[in-house]
Amino acid sequence: MPVKKIGITALVPPELIFSCGVTPFDVNNVIPASRKYPGNKLCAWTAIWKDMLVKKEIEVDSLVVVAGGDCHNALVDGQKAAMSGIPTHFFFYPFDGDPEYLGSQLHRLSLFLGGIKSPEKFKEIGELKKQGQLLDKKRCSGKLSSSEAFRILISFSDLAGDLAGFSMIISDLQEKDIEVRNRVALIGVPPIFHDFHETAQSLDLQIVFDELPYEFIRHGGSNIQEIAVNYCGYTFARPLEFRIDFLKNELKRRRVDGVIHYTQFACHHMLEDEVLREKLDYPMLTIQGDLPGNTPQQVKLRLEAFREMLDRQ
Amino acid sequence: MIGLDVGSTAAKMVWIESGGLKFRITSTHNWKELVEGIDGDEIISTGYFRNSVPHRASLTELTAAIYGVRHYFPDAEVIVDIGGQDTKVIDVRNNNFIINDKCSAGTGAFLEFVANYFKIELNELGSMHAMAKRIPDINNTCGVFALSEMISQLVGGYSKEEVIAGMHYAFARRISYMIPQAHKVVLIGGTVKNEGMVAALMDVLNIDVLIPDEPQIINALGALKYYS
Repeated sequence: MPVKKIGITALVPPELIFSCGVTPFDVNNVIPASRKYPGNKLCAWTAIWKDMLVKKEIEVDSLVVVAGGDCHNALVDGQKAAMSGIPTHFFFYPFDGDPEYLGSQLHRLSLFLGGIKSPEKFKEIGELKKQGQLLDKKRCSGKLSSSEAFRILISFSDLAGDLAGFSMIISDLQEKDIEVRNRVALIGVPPIFHDFHETAQSLDLQIVFDELPYEFIRHGGSNIQEIAVNYCGYTFARPLEFRIDFLKNELKRRRVDGVIHYTQFACHHMLEDEVLREKLDYPMLTIQGDLPGNTPQQVKLRLEAFREMLDRQ
Repeated sequence: MIGLDVGSTAAKMVWIESGGLKFRITSTHNWKELVEGIDGDEIISTGYFRNSVPHRASLTELTAAIYGVRHYFPDAEVIVDIGGQDTKVIDVRNNNFIINDKCSAGTGAFLEFVANYFKIELNELGSMHAMAKRIPDINNTCGVFALSEMISQLVGGYSKEEVIAGMHYAFARRISYMIPQAHKVVLIGGTVKNEGMVAALMDVLNIDVLIPDEPQIINALGALKYYS
């Protein structure tokens, strides 16, 4: 019997999904290269995965929608996907970081997924995440390009649905020797443009921090109780001040010169821009994307002007 | 060495000759006329087409604007560059910038729509604004819907001159949201040659603004200065 494929819409502990004997599939990962233009939408990210799920262009056995403490549009688009007949579970992170609440959410999720069958997967994924953290360190010191690092780190949400294959992809990475100038942090949701990191790199901006992909590699644990405590630190689900404190430490640790805040059209994260600008004491460029595709010229102009601005600092 | 700014609607070239500043302006699609006989190695380019024209070096129009404006106003705090397809606001004090290019309401293209509707030249808008006795309220911030509102005001009895003034105010309000508080605000770009728009903007911002003698060449000058 084939292993069931579980669609996930945001960070859902992959340790738990794999340990239940099913494989996760992050429905966001196909969007940047999809060239899809949804009709009725707010955020293109959720509108596209909803459309693709309903039209069976993404085929999953069931769906886990992160509807609380992260993306509010997903709550509605997830219900539309559910109405099309896909068995759907709604997962909620606690705003106040209560591990008991998250523990109960994780138990409910494990029941939806059929219960834990392979507890050793917790440890196996923990080891992979350690490798992910090493890669993250390497890109900070120029031993890995930011585009390669991003490609791998963003895939940690579902580990490409294949732990052994993913481990080989990591092992096959070749070390580089890149001069790291204009160190920038990319915060917010990941850009919907599939070549964003390559574009930034070509304009002499080296992304040394990808906020959301970093969340994919820094949480873990060896059982539900441990991951309940650990995943309570998922910053997107917590109050803005909690996230800002975390960002301040990361930006300092990575010695960034500037910050790029990517905002997605019609995403609630747009409202955070003014607060982040006020609280983070770095030159900040805010860019906005809407539909998937190549990085548009207007965004390239802003990136280039930002690089020139960093040069003048 | 020359500074060449090939923007969305106009191409501008600046050079220094006998200690004085010289310039030429033409439409974008005629940019080649400007550089005929000039080696690409002599050109510092900026503007939308900066990488499409021969050049020794290129820089974005945002950086060029800072260097060009400093030539005339070394203590400028904020630069507002109103171009054909976008409006850029640069806060020189903290090296910050904002660009409006998703909506025509705050760009030269918006005023072009207005001139086209009345079948007049773009450069006539300013003198017509001065003849207005009343200013109708045009509140819509969308360029397309503002045009519908403009027609309604004409139906309602406002004169052509008054409606043009109303459109200048709508334009000014649209871009005023982008401009931070400052004492020394410098306006540049081809659209700034429209006195009606400038008067409306000063009224909305409630400040005096600084404008170089030839606001359209500032980015070309900045390109030249940056590499000099």
